[in-house]
Amino acid sequence: MICYDVKRVIYFFLDGQLGENKQKDFTSHLNLCGDCERRAAIQSRLRQFVKKRMHIDPAPEHLKRRLARAVRAFRAEWSASQ
Amino acid sequence: MKSAEVHEHEQGWDFEKAAMPYVDSLYNTAYRMTRNSEDAEDLVQETYLKAYKYYDKFEEGTNFKAWLFKIMKNTFINNYRKKKLSPHKIDFSEIEESYERVIQKNAPDLIKDPESEIFQDMMDEDVKRSLDSLPHDYKMVVLLADIEGFSYKEIAEILDCPVGTVMSRLYRGRKMLERTLLEYAKKYGYIRSGEPVKMRSRKDEVKPKKRAPGEGDAAEVHEPEDGDETVLFADDEEFEFELEEEREEEEFQIE
Ligand SMILES: [Zn+2]
Repeated sequence: MICYDVKRVIYFFLDGQLGENKQKDFTSHLNLCGDCERRAAIQSRLRQFVKKRMHIDPAPEHLKRRLARAVRAFRAEWSASQ
Repeated sequence: MKSAEVHEHEQGWDFEKAAMPYVDSLYNTAYRMTRNSEDAEDLVQETYLKAYKYYDKFEEGTNFKAWLFKIMKNTFINNYRKKKLSPHKIDFSEIEESYERVIQKNAPDLIKDPESEIFQDMMDEDVKRSLDSLPHDYKMVVLLADIEGFSYKEIAEILDCPVGTVMSRLYRGRKMLERTLLEYAKKYGYIRSGEPVKMRSRKDEVKPKKRAPGEGDAAEVHEPEDGDETVLFADDEEFEFELEEEREEEEFQIE
């Protein structure tokens, strides 16, 4: 694996989706190449950053109540039609 | 088709108990899709009722959350997308090199200091707006992968597209997101390094200015300039991924 390949597949490596052999090749390259190691570290931090800042907010409570009501109403309607 | 009532009795299945844990994720994604809380709530409710009604179509042993997301995506396409979204035209020649260098230059402490954060002072809203500014298809894969943590295979299933398409959209979507984040960082002075940011493309340089209320909603993905930059994936959609050819089974395992 050369630096060019590393750049192309860096996202997929960080997602752990390259398959065992390629993941290993990638890791060996990182152990030898400071540029790519740094590149991978920064990319990984970027992912964490986005994930953290895009945190999942709780859905509004009224929505949860509304969903429960809707499912119950749907069930009642279905029973009545039988 | 078995009715909801029947499988509930037969399998002792409690829909609310099974589905309620995903309501936060569904709502957040619905909100990013519709960008409006009323529409997002309606979308989640419709998704829930459909899931309840068609639960017998759910295959045991597969990912229930992914199944709910797939229903939501289909519902969204049917109800909302046609009337509200217009396609975004984007030139995909990437100027990734220069952006990468800017990030590297401006993130000097990241490796030494694990607590430090890229774009430390950037507000959550700016990150959300950056993601919202991506064209819909790209926003969706980034959201499903990076926020919801789905595997490529699950995303392909949710979006009804090949894994290669998921990968190419993820690649481009993340590149666009990085670029947009950087533009925010420059525009509002979130980049900490005192060194002036050098961009290869002069057109991309943004003069610092005061932020007006409500500004940022109009954030756009800037079309990269043609130049001597390497075009990584010039063709659209199907991304011929060399690893894929080798052994798809092994390459794209879930979990
Ligand atoms: Zn390298």
